[in-house]
Formats: sequence, structure tokens, C-alpha cells
Amino acid sequence: MAVQELELKPAVPSSPLLGFWNTFKKNRMAVVGLVMLVVIVFIAVFADALAPYDPKSYEGIQSGDVYNAPSAAHWFGTDDAGKDVLSSFMYGARISLIVGFFAAFISIFIGGLFGIVAGFFGGRVENFLMRFTDLMLVIPDLPLIVVIVALTRPNLLNIIFVIGLLGWTTTARIVRSQTLAVKSRKFVLRARAIGAGNWHIIANHILPLVMPILVVNAILVISLAILSESTLSFLGLGDPTAISWGQMLNFAFGRGAMSAGAWWALVVPGFGIVWVVLGLTLLGNGLEQVLNPRLEAHHLMPGRPTVQTEPVGDESASVEHKPTKRKESPLLLDVRNLSVNYVNEGVVAKAVQNVSFQLHEGELMGLVGESGCGKTTLMMALLRLLPAAGEIANGHVYYGGRDLAMLTEEEMADLRWKGISIIFQGAMNALNPVRTVGDQIREAISKHIPNYPPGTLEERVVELLELVGIAAEHKDHFPHQYSGGMRQRVMIAMALSCNPQIVIADEPTTALDVMIQAQILELLDNLRRKLGLAIIFVTHDLGVVAEMCDSVLVMYGGVTAEYADVDTIYNAPLHPYTQELLKAFPDLSKPERKLTSIPGYPPKLNELPPGCRFAPRCPQAFARCSVELPKLHELADAHFVSCHLVENGK
Amino acid sequence: MAQDYILEVRYLKKYFQAGRPGWFSRGDLFVHAVDDVDLQLKRGEVIALVGESGCGKSTLSLTLMGLEEATEGTILFEGRDITHASPKERKEIRQRIQMVFQDPYESLNPTQTIEEIVSEPLHVHGLATNPEERNDRVRRALEDSGLKPAEDYLHRFPHQLSGGQRQRVVIASALVLEPHLLLADEPVSMLDVSIRAEIINLLADLRQKRNISVIFITHDLGTVGYFADRVAVMYLGRIVEIGTMGEVLKDPQHPYTKALLSVIPVPNPRLRRKRIILQGETPNPIDLPKGCRFHPRCPVAIEACKLSDPPLQKVSDTHSAACLLLVR
Repeated sequence: MAVQELELKPAVPSSPLLGFWNTFKKNRMAVVGLVMLVVIVFIAVFADALAPYDPKSYEGIQSGDVYNAPSAAHWFGTDDAGKDVLSSFMYGARISLIVGFFAAFISIFIGGLFGIVAGFFGGRVENFLMRFTDLMLVIPDLPLIVVIVALTRPNLLNIIFVIGLLGWTTTARIVRSQTLAVKSRKFVLRARAIGAGNWHIIANHILPLVMPILVVNAILVISLAILSESTLSFLGLGDPTAISWGQMLNFAFGRGAMSAGAWWALVVPGFGIVWVVLGLTLLGNGLEQVLNPRLEAHHLMPGRPTVQTEPVGDESASVEHKPTKRKESPLLLDVRNLSVNYVNEGVVAKAVQNVSFQLHEGELMGLVGESGCGKTTLMMALLRLLPAAGEIANGHVYYGGRDLAMLTEEEMADLRWKGISIIFQGAMNALNPVRTVGDQIREAISKHIPNYPPGTLEERVVELLELVGIAAEHKDHFPHQYSGGMRQRVMIAMALSCNPQIVIADEPTTALDVMIQAQILELLDNLRRKLGLAIIFVTHDLGVVAEMCDSVLVMYGGVTAEYADVDTIYNAPLHPYTQELLKAFPDLSKPERKLTSIPGYPPKLNELPPGCRFAPRCPQAFARCSVELPKLHELADAHFVSCHLVENGK
Repeated sequence: MAQDYILEVRYLKKYFQAGRPGWFSRGDLFVHAVDDVDLQLKRGEVIALVGESGCGKSTLSLTLMGLEEATEGTILFEGRDITHASPKERKEIRQRIQMVFQDPYESLNPTQTIEEIVSEPLHVHGLATNPEERNDRVRRALEDSGLKPAEDYLHRFPHQLSGGQRQRVVIASALVLEPHLLLADEPVSMLDVSIRAEIINLLADLRQKRNISVIFITHDLGTVGYFADRVAVMYLGRIVEIGTMGEVLKDPQHPYTKALLSVIPVPNPRLRRKRIILQGETPNPIDLPKGCRFHPRCPVAIEACKLSDPPLQKVSDTHSAACLLLVR
């Protein structure tokens, strides 16, 4: 669904940092975490000014002040020495955060270095570093820390180093796997081709892409370090001169706060630890979602019936489409004035506007246009599988005497696959790698026809595979044993599994070699003859369309540019866009012709030009084109063109 | 004579060990990715290297770039043997051989600005250290690649550009070093048809203006069209036919070339014709078929094809093909 993402992309921010901040702001979890942290860091930094008492001085403390309950003078009571718990809490935040941050810094540095070096250089270096990491990983941290701290003098610096030097293993492993992933990307190869050395590549290409994961990991490591420090202090191994939250717990616990009923002496430092760790975890999870867009939910939203927000034919006045007699065979699908909007934060993008076409039994229609012209959106609207932001704004899709735009989701679900099925763009790469191909086809059948007689299911799988030219013995093979061409055949078999009348093929041959492409085209052509299928072939490749289609719908900027039979489109095109597209296509039968490309790019759907969508790139545009959207004119022989030039008698 | 050629490849072989060598795997399994390739390229010439995936065309280009070590054979670049160049020599050579990759969406680092991307080669080679000169060269490379005015693009990020614009950035970052030879590995196959023409025309202009030689690797002869002077068709690691574009298009000799040509779509429904559709796919290059490599898929194979592996034979001075049927 790359096309739709492109179409939906909001105005791009000028720098990635700004873009990051914009996404970050929207993530409530991350913002809450950040606020929680800012509060505690603020308290720690300004403890001197904020704390009502100095926790180190015994000034003004009477002998009876032990475990005083909360009062106006001591909001959170006093501890075993009569000191103010709130003040200790504020100074304790300082110690806990210092240990957390510095220990995490050491861990991240070592782990990051090990991970990047191991992932990048591989081989022996990797083997040595990662086995060492594994070794460190199996040594239980806490007992080791206890032993080391017990043996050395328990001061703050020692504690920071011990926690830091033992906490890097997970970081190293995560960074290594990320480095491996980045290393295999093409821009690293390109950097090598430029002549760049290893360290240049690490600094300029690996590090910037490992950084996000390192940052997320760092945040979690900080919270682990704070927890470790608290544990150590609680066990009495902390620095007795530095009062951290763990130290407060230790004193309170060891000196009878429980028996004295002084809950505040335990709850307040405990709350501090929970607060920081929770804040860090929220921030970490939030950041991960922001930095790793793959975790963002992208779902198709089935079941939105048409909203009919627009009166039919407001702008590009719709021509009443009579079902044309292009074909003798019966009419299967009649799409009339279909419009699709994307609504993103209140902004309406008109992805498809008033598109009409008819499809007859056995007809092969080509749907042509550049990327971002609304082809995929139109097809998704037919199946009512638009992304969550998309909605059918008006129009009708008549199929089998019913209007698909009006059906409930249950009725529509029944029609999908059985009436109209689709071969998604790039879907051949989406086969489940751990299940056999036969298994996956079987699942596709039984999912859509739940009461399929199980006895004949196996036969059906074999029949479908043979239909698409795959021998039955490959049934129990896994997708990785199939080539790209064979996987695409499997996708076709799946689309045919419920005997649909119409198959939509969205760029089915784009990623394939010419010879495999020819095989797939031949297959589709045979299938429609054999099964009487009607096929809608979505592509940007005009050559393929000329080879096999009966009719062609050329789309531009979400509207119909030209719609006619294939011969008219190639030999008497009237819309300048069709003409330009044809000029851009290499034709080996005409050696003398120089290829021309269409300057510029299709309009973004959120900034459509006011007049004709194509006017800014049109070589024949005149004044009227940039003001008025041309009507869709029907010429004599069922030839539809939306261009002002046609009106003037060419 | 040798002076005429910018690149001479002799009997080049690149084998990969199949699987990891170990106790239980056979040590003698090799992927014959490139197997005895002979190729000469004149200064300013454009050659198209055509074949299906798995035919070894990409490995050949990586070997020429020195990103893969050749197993056997020699590569002469501007008269100098660069087959086993030291890393230092290699770095120097890379200033003159540059590469354009297939996927403009993947081959740009998303965290770098266009300016950083295009000036990176200069940094790497320590060229144009004076900031003004550097800016000048970056700007010129961008504008020569059709991104005008360069100022509009310098501070943008790859994700803000379209596919065609990104491919121009890739080309600009190759041009900034002023290379003599450009290896273009499927530079347009990921782009919309409407944009392909402009990238091809751009390469054609560059060749004319700067006299750059180009090796254009593609699986689709149709996209190269008449931009290339010569074409070499590869099958399973070997060149099976080579000749001028006109000769190969009008009078293909090898059955594989004939099939490849027949499936190129012609944008005219009145010219629909019989296509020679080869069934199956390129066999795996570990267990090469005996005899002619193409015979299991060849529509006109005869008994003799299973036995002897035909060498390239001259059809004319500029045109050769490797097929037993040529003798008749």
C-alpha cells in the first residue's frame, strides 16, 4: 500500500528532528514519561533550594522526633534519626539519578562499541566479542555485584563502575543485530563503491541508524541501573555517606520503621523508585514507537459503507454513463461516479473523483497511470478495503444487481474473494515462510468457504496449483523453495480459490524479470479464456497493457483522463496525458524516435491544482485549463476524454 | 590498440563457494556466477548487459568495481591491471569507476541531507578540501544530473524526493568524482515508466557531454532501447551473444536473445505477435547443465547441444553468438 502512504503523507517537516518532535508530541505515553522524568530531574537538580531541611545536619532535632507522623512542618514525616523524609527524598533523587545515568552511560558505551564492531566486522572479531558477551550474560549479575562491592570499598564511584561494567550485555546484542541489518542495506554498499573505508562507513552510515535503538535501550538501561543501585543500598552495600532512595529504605527497614508503623519512611523512597522507573519505561516504550514506525498500526478498515458526503457530480460534472456496448458479453461490474476521500486530521484529500467504468465477462481492462494517481485506491474502494482514513464519498459499484457501496460489512465480506478477488501488489513476498504453500492455499479456501467438504479440499489445492502451472509435487514445499515467478503464481491460485468472476491484479509483474513477466501475463490471459474471468490489470507499464488488454482506463490525479478500447488508446489517443505517456514508453520498433519524459510529477492529492489536474505538466495547456476542471466528454465510439481540447473539435 | 579501450575484461571468472565449507558439506560445490567473460569497452561507449536474474550480470559489475574479488582472469582499466589491486590502489581507481544502484529508495542513507550525500565522495577521497570548491562541485554535479537549481535540493532529505529525483541524486553522487566509467545496475527498473525515459536521457547526455563510458545492466532490453551502442546478452554467467544494438535487435542469432526480444512489450495492440515464452527459470548455477548451458530451455535444441558447449563465434566483425546452430 505504498501508493496510499505516499498520497497521505502530510507536508514534510524540514528536518528529521522537527519531524521527530511532531510525532513524539502525539505519543501520549512518551510525553507522560518525559514529564515524569523532567519533574524528578528538576527536584534532584534543585534539591538545595527545594528541600525544607538539610538532611545532613542535626540542627533543631530533638530526641523524641523519631518517626514523627506527617505534619505541616514535615509533610512526609521524619525518619529514624528525626530527619525530614521529604528532604532526604529530594537529595536521594540526586544520588539515585547520578548512579543511574553514569552507570548506564558506561554500559551503553561498552555495549554499543561491542555491538557495532561485532556486527560490522563479523568473522572472528564477532565470534570473540559475542561469545564473551554470552559468557557475561550467563553470570548472574546481582550475586557478582554483591561480591565485588563487598570486597571493594562501597563508595559511589565503585558502585557506578560495577553496575556499568556488568549491564552492557543486552545492549551489545541488540546493537549487533541492528548493525547487521543496517550493514546489509544498499547505501552501505554504495558508500563502499565510493571508496569509503570502514570507519567512515561506521561513523556516517551505521551509527546514525543504530542510534535510535541505542537511545531507546539507554533509557531502559538507566532504569535498570537505578534499580540495581537501590537493591545494593537496600542490602546495605551502598555508600553510607550518600543517601539514595535505596539507602533510605535500608535505614527505615533496618531501624524499625515497620514496627513503629512509620509507613511514610518506606513508602516515600519506594514511590521515588517506582516513579522514575515507570517514567523511564513509558518514555522508552513511547520512543520506540516513535522511532520505529513499523510498530505503528496500519490496518485496512473494511466495512465502512459509503458516506455520500458529496452530491453526485459537483465538480467534474459527471456524464451519465450508459453501459456501453463495447462487448457482446454480459455486463459484470458497473462503477459509476465513484469518489474516494482520505480524511487526515480534518484535511480532506480527494484521492479518486467521479470515476466510472464498466467491466464485461471475460474482459481484460488495463488501469494505467503513474504512481500516486489513485489506481490502487480505486481498486481498494471497489473491495471496500480502504485504509482507516479513506471513505467512499459518493458513487455506486453495481455488481450482480447490488450496489457494493451500500452493502453491510457482512454482505461485503461474503462477496470478497467469491465475487471479486485481488492479487495485492508485492503480496508474493508475504507468504508465511514456515508453512507449506499447499497449506496456505488450503487455509485460504477454508477461511472463505467454511463448509467446504474436507475430503475434496486436497484435490482442490492440487487443481488450483495445476491451473496456475505448478506441478502437484511442489504442494508441500515451503515458499523459500519457490522462485519469485512461482510465488506470484501461488498468489494467483489463491485469488482464484473461491471461483471469483472478477480478479483485480495490482502490478502483478512489476518486480519480475521480463521472461517471468511474460509467463505470468500468458497465464492470466489463458485463465480468463478458460474461466471466463474478467480481469482488471493495474499497471504503469503501457507495453503490458497493449499486449493483452481489451479496454484501458487512464487515470491522472484521481480522475479519469481517458477511457476507451485498447486500439483507440494507442492509435488515436486524445488526452495529452495519454499521448505523453506513450511517448515516454520505449518502442524498439521505432529506432529513430527519442524518448521523451513528462516533466514534473503527478500532483499531491492534498494540493491538487485548481483546474485540470494535468495542466501544470501539459504541453498543450491553455488559459482555461488552469481554471476549470474539464468535463468528461463522451465521443462517438464509447471513448471518454476529460480535456478541454476535445470540446473545440480537437 | 589497447589505448582505445577504457576497460578490457579477459576470461573473468567469479565463483562462490556454495554453502559454508565444513565437515559435512562437499568442498567442491561452486556457484559459477561469472564464467569466462570477455568484454572490451571503448572510451565513451555505452554497452548494455542483458539477462535474467541469476545470470551473473550483477556479480560481474560488483567484480569490476572491486567489491568482489575475481576468481580468475584479468580486468584492465585504462590499460592497467586492476584485478587484484591493493586497497590503496582500489581507492584511487574508485574515483574513476562509479556505480549507480538499482533501488533509489534503499541506496540513499535516510539520515543524510542531499548535500551530505553528494559531497561524501569528495570527503572520502580528500578532494576539493576548500569549502567553496566543494560547494561548486556538488552544485555542478546536482545540476548536471537535472536537479536545478541545486539550492532547492541541498538541504532536503531523501524521503522528501520522488523516486526519479532520488535516482538523480545517486547519479550526482557518482558524477561528483568525475568518473570515466559508470556502472549502472538496473538504474530504472524500480521507477515508473514515465520517469525511466528521463533517467536514460540523462545518462545519454552525460555520455555526450563528459564522454563517460557506461555499462548499463538490465533485464529488459526494451528499457535500454537505442541508448546503448552495443549489447551483451548473458546467460548463466556467460555472454551468449554480443554485438551492436542494431545488429542484435534486427538479426538476433542466439535463441535466448530471440526469446528475450520477443517478450519485450510493444506499445501497439495492432502489433501483437507470437511471443517465445521460455518456460521455467534460469537453472541454478551450481549444477550447470552439460553441453550448452541453455539447452534445457532452448526451443530449438538438438541432440548435439547436450554434448558440446559452444564458444562465441563471429557472425560479423562486430557481432558474435555462442550457438551450435550457427554453423549450419
